[in-house]
Amino acid sequence: MSRIRVGLVGAGFMASVHAAGWAGCPGVELTAVVTAPGRSPARLAGEYGLRACDSLDELLDLVDVVDVCAPTDVHHQITVRAARAGRAVICEKPLARTPAQAEDMIATCREAGVTLLPAHVVRFFPEYAAAKAAVDAGDIGEPGVVRLTRATFLPPGPGSWYTDHARSGGLAFDLMVHDFDYARWVAGDVVGVYARSVRAMRPDAEADHVLAILRHASGAISHVEGSWAHPPPTFRTRAEIAGTRGGLEFDSDRTTPLRPNVRADSRPGAMPLPSSPLAEPPHTVQLQHFAEVLRGEAAPVVTAADGLAAVRIAAAVVESIDTGRPIEVPAVEVAR
Amino acid sequence: MRVAFLSSAHVHADAYVANFRAAGAEVVGVADDDAVRGATWAATHDVPWYSSAEELLDAGVDAVAVCSETAHHRRLVELAASAGVAVLCEKPLATTEADARAIVDSCARAAVPLMTAFPMRFSPPLREAAAMLADGTLGRLHACTGTNQSVLPTRHGAWFADAALAGGGAIMDHSVHLADVLRWYIGEDPVEVYAATNRVLHGDTVDVETGALLMLTYPDGVFATIDASWSRPDSYPTWGGLTVELVGEHGTVGVDAFGQHLTVYGGTSGPLAWPMWGSDANQAMIDEFVDAVRTGRTPAVTGEDGLAATLVALAAYRSAHSGQPVSLPS
Repeated sequence: MSRIRVGLVGAGFMASVHAAGWAGCPGVELTAVVTAPGRSPARLAGEYGLRACDSLDELLDLVDVVDVCAPTDVHHQITVRAARAGRAVICEKPLARTPAQAEDMIATCREAGVTLLPAHVVRFFPEYAAAKAAVDAGDIGEPGVVRLTRATFLPPGPGSWYTDHARSGGLAFDLMVHDFDYARWVAGDVVGVYARSVRAMRPDAEADHVLAILRHASGAISHVEGSWAHPPPTFRTRAEIAGTRGGLEFDSDRTTPLRPNVRADSRPGAMPLPSSPLAEPPHTVQLQHFAEVLRGEAAPVVTAADGLAAVRIAAAVVESIDTGRPIEVPAVEVAR
Repeated sequence: MRVAFLSSAHVHADAYVANFRAAGAEVVGVADDDAVRGATWAATHDVPWYSSAEELLDAGVDAVAVCSETAHHRRLVELAASAGVAVLCEKPLATTEADARAIVDSCARAAVPLMTAFPMRFSPPLREAAAMLADGTLGRLHACTGTNQSVLPTRHGAWFADAALAGGGAIMDHSVHLADVLRWYIGEDPVEVYAATNRVLHGDTVDVETGALLMLTYPDGVFATIDASWSRPDSYPTWGGLTVELVGEHGTVGVDAFGQHLTVYGGTSGPLAWPMWGSDANQAMIDEFVDAVRTGRTPAVTGEDGLAATLVALAAYRSAHSGQPVSLPS
């Protein structure tokens, strides 16, 4: 595969971010885009010179790789169709709306012999990657207590699928899944969760603030805070890892190199996306890595099994919230 | 006003002795069942040494600060109460519910003031957040994330990690501060406590839990987490810290009770240090106790507050043991 042809499924916010990312990937040609019936990919197609397809089948004929940036509830059907057509799949997080869907996506891709890569972009944020590298290098010993925070504002509504629990899975699936994956990456498999939620800012919407306690097979425990309960333009990310030989932490509030105090209204219409000035945006680094994986030049930093594990944790967190009980998390059998 | 220290086992006694003197009280003596520890502490702080608590109380005191190992609180408080002396008792109030209730009851029967040493009630940053709750700025409180993490406290005394003397480890040592802050903020006690604990950190040094995450649920659905872990490495720039983040109806607020510090590189305090420049919450707490004793009124923080926080910690142990949330009577 000398030149990888990529097709985008979806033309919304994350599709725009990915399109910009693919533009920074040598050897990748973003060729086509398709979106849900009744919606037009014309703007994105025009901006990046893409073929605006009328159907997924039309797109599948034009590409080697399908990049799924559609709402979570359609990840499964798009991935399955792409895999059966022999196309590799990159899929936005969470991998699927339910663990069963994620399992089926993995099985279908395995049967079709195509690669499935979940876009857990947090693994490509430099502060998270550096902390993971420090843990792996043994700098702080074995992780004992991990704390992760992702605190921002509610994605704009009404009508946004992000806040539609049936489509996105809500806060635990859409936002906290980043940190469920990261907690598991640094402290190993999660065996149980206990969580609480509240509708803090919009009583008519679904839960916008969740606190979860995770128990890892290693014996480590993690505190994961996910929130849409802050006013725009807040997007705060924090991590703290206490290990047997030391500890490390970072906090976007403290490391932000710019602190603008401008006399202007905040723009609550924007979508929340964490950002810090960097030479290469993490989404671009992620897509460059995926391109290397697809060319067989690199082992994946994150696998579909990781994506399934994160979905299982999210589902357990929702179940714990719904039942008020601690929920066990089934282990993921890794077959790559 | 004449104040006596009943034991110097708890490291906070070191701070309180200066706080009492600054409040205008006379520190008339210290008694300690560990003669070497007590005599050393007496010499360091220029306090007369007594070989027994009874002898010290007989010398005539108005109030005592009980700073013993937690398991000995009950005996010393009952002794002070029967002598008709006001009591400031270090947290946690006791290692068992029976002892905590006996402490509250003995002081009530003797009609002596009893204050639990919860200095965070007097922290100006935490008081500002309390005011934001009280005046409606935040609206109804929905959720709280609390942390009270520290280095392993055994450098101040091995008993902190001795379950027989301390009642446990990180939960007993730390969760009570935030349990009390939440009681203050919410005005209620939790109806459910869940806790996950471990001994990954310092597992080869101590036999008690060093990692502890608690989830408290309150009657109207408000929930709060407490990280009570001894999770700061020995090389941390200070002993630890306490933070609270509140999510309310109208917004959110984060509070770092010990955030008002300098950052110092090198020099006598090591490669990195955070000396505090914020107000001393211990001093405000001691001022309140001294004033309450002088004027014969109930202190702003009571024995009941100490009992309530102890019950949360004890419930956390039951939950950590069973793996299930534990219900508390509302």
